[in-house]
Amino acid sequence: MFRTPTARFLRRAALAFGQLALPFAVVAILWEAFAIFGPFPPRLFPRIETIVSAFVRLIVTGVLPLHAFETLLRLAAGFLLGAVVGVTMGMLMGRYRWVEDLLVPVVSVGNPIPGLAYAPLFVLWFGLGNLPAVLLVGFSATFPVVVNTWTGVKAVKSIWIRAAETMGATDRQLFRKVVLPGALPYVLTGLRLGLARAWRVLIAVEMLTSVSIGLGWLIFGAREFLNTDVMLAGIAVIGLVGLGLEKLVFERVEKFTVVRWGMLER
Amino acid sequence: MKRFVVGSVASFGLAALVWEVFARCGLFSPALSPSLAVIVPALVRMVVSGTIFVHIAYTLYRILWGLGLAALVGVPVGILMGRFKAAERFVLPLVSVLSPIPSLAWVPVFILWFGLGDAASVALVFYAATFPIILNTWTGVRSVNRVWIRAAETMGAAGGDLFRKVVLPGSFPFVIAGLRQAFARSWIAVVGGEMIAATSWGLGWVIFDSKEFLRTDVMLSTLVVIGILGLGFERLVFQAVERRTVGRWGMVRTAGT
Repeated sequence: MFRTPTARFLRRAALAFGQLALPFAVVAILWEAFAIFGPFPPRLFPRIETIVSAFVRLIVTGVLPLHAFETLLRLAAGFLLGAVVGVTMGMLMGRYRWVEDLLVPVVSVGNPIPGLAYAPLFVLWFGLGNLPAVLLVGFSATFPVVVNTWTGVKAVKSIWIRAAETMGATDRQLFRKVVLPGALPYVLTGLRLGLARAWRVLIAVEMLTSVSIGLGWLIFGAREFLNTDVMLAGIAVIGLVGLGLEKLVFERVEKFTVVRWGMLER
Repeated sequence: MKRFVVGSVASFGLAALVWEVFARCGLFSPALSPSLAVIVPALVRMVVSGTIFVHIAYTLYRILWGLGLAALVGVPVGILMGRFKAAERFVLPLVSVLSPIPSLAWVPVFILWFGLGDAASVALVFYAATFPIILNTWTGVRSVNRVWIRAAETMGAAGGDLFRKVVLPGSFPFVIAGLRQAFARSWIAVVGGEMIAATSWGLGWVIFDSKEFLRTDVMLSTLVVIGILGLGFERLVFQAVERRTVGRWGMVRTAGT
């Protein structure tokens, strides 16, 4: 066998792939064994080929993409709402002491209440459908954004502010050129946590507010017909979207802003 | 401290005022947005009759079972991942695929598998809590200061001793952080689980059930209780554990209050 660079590269790639595939293969074998020999009927615990074929069928017929699209729209609307309100509140809390004194107690009691607990209330107020779902997602996303933005503004080094002031920065310049970029790593962390929370809440909210189309509703509706394969295919898509949000959106935003400015090591 | 008290009073006073205006301005009917004069008696009634404590007990029972099981599985797995490369290679891909799936997405599946009731809620809490515990423990074991390990080795520690006296305490701040995160997630999971996998007791169930009878006063009282309990756990339980262990060992500075 020749030890050419290509062969070495191929072998290394194959090894890496094998390492990555092994855990999934083991889990798949265990799943299959449980599906065949376990106590559950196949309707409740389908074999992997059933799940995969359901997945492919739902993708090809466009059902899954449609539901995923609607869910993402709702997520975007809710998250945007939460982000705007949260960053504004957090900035005000960081800049003005009286705002801080007034809002911190309310925020710290409101923060640990799961957003989902408000769902029935929001349904009574705003009816079923899109409006309560979006509002609730925005509401739950707001808290982590507020807390982190506030911390970020407070964590801006006072020496930077003094230096800028010495060099004659106006209030506006100080805010735009020092406070904002200085607080941004925290703000981004807050947005990231907010998005993660929004995503978690949204899936459950869709089950409770019975929107007509959406991933949460898809898996919840599939229970009525014992379509466990559809449910698991839906869950797989939910996982993929969640992974995609984390990897594609935030790691990239972070790389282009705070890492590039040298404020965060990667 | 005085500033904090005055601030809190002003803060909650303002929140109450905003709520009263919202409740009485007629945007929603009083049945949907009851005034404080209705909410507070409802809360008092639930406390006096003791029903709220039964609900709290059921919810805590589920959460503690789920969290306990998650810690029992998550901490050893995290430690193995930190100590052995092979374990890390095997577990990490699975965790990074499973952990972005919101636990509540599993509710319909868990209902089919475990039936309605306690088992589904406990399984849900377990799912929500395991991943933060695994990931944090793993990070903790890896972040144990190399110098400490070498120092202990130089002084003749090995194997079990090294693990018990250096690695375990060294990674403890992260383990606690993991438990904290896990609790926050379980709290969400248990409330959602109780709403959907309906049983007959539990804080989430009360809220959902009161919707049927338009008892918004009961809903809001329960929300207040959920908030106070969540905050209480965070402040009293986790901060106390932190002070007694890692704070006392001098590894992190605990917050002043």
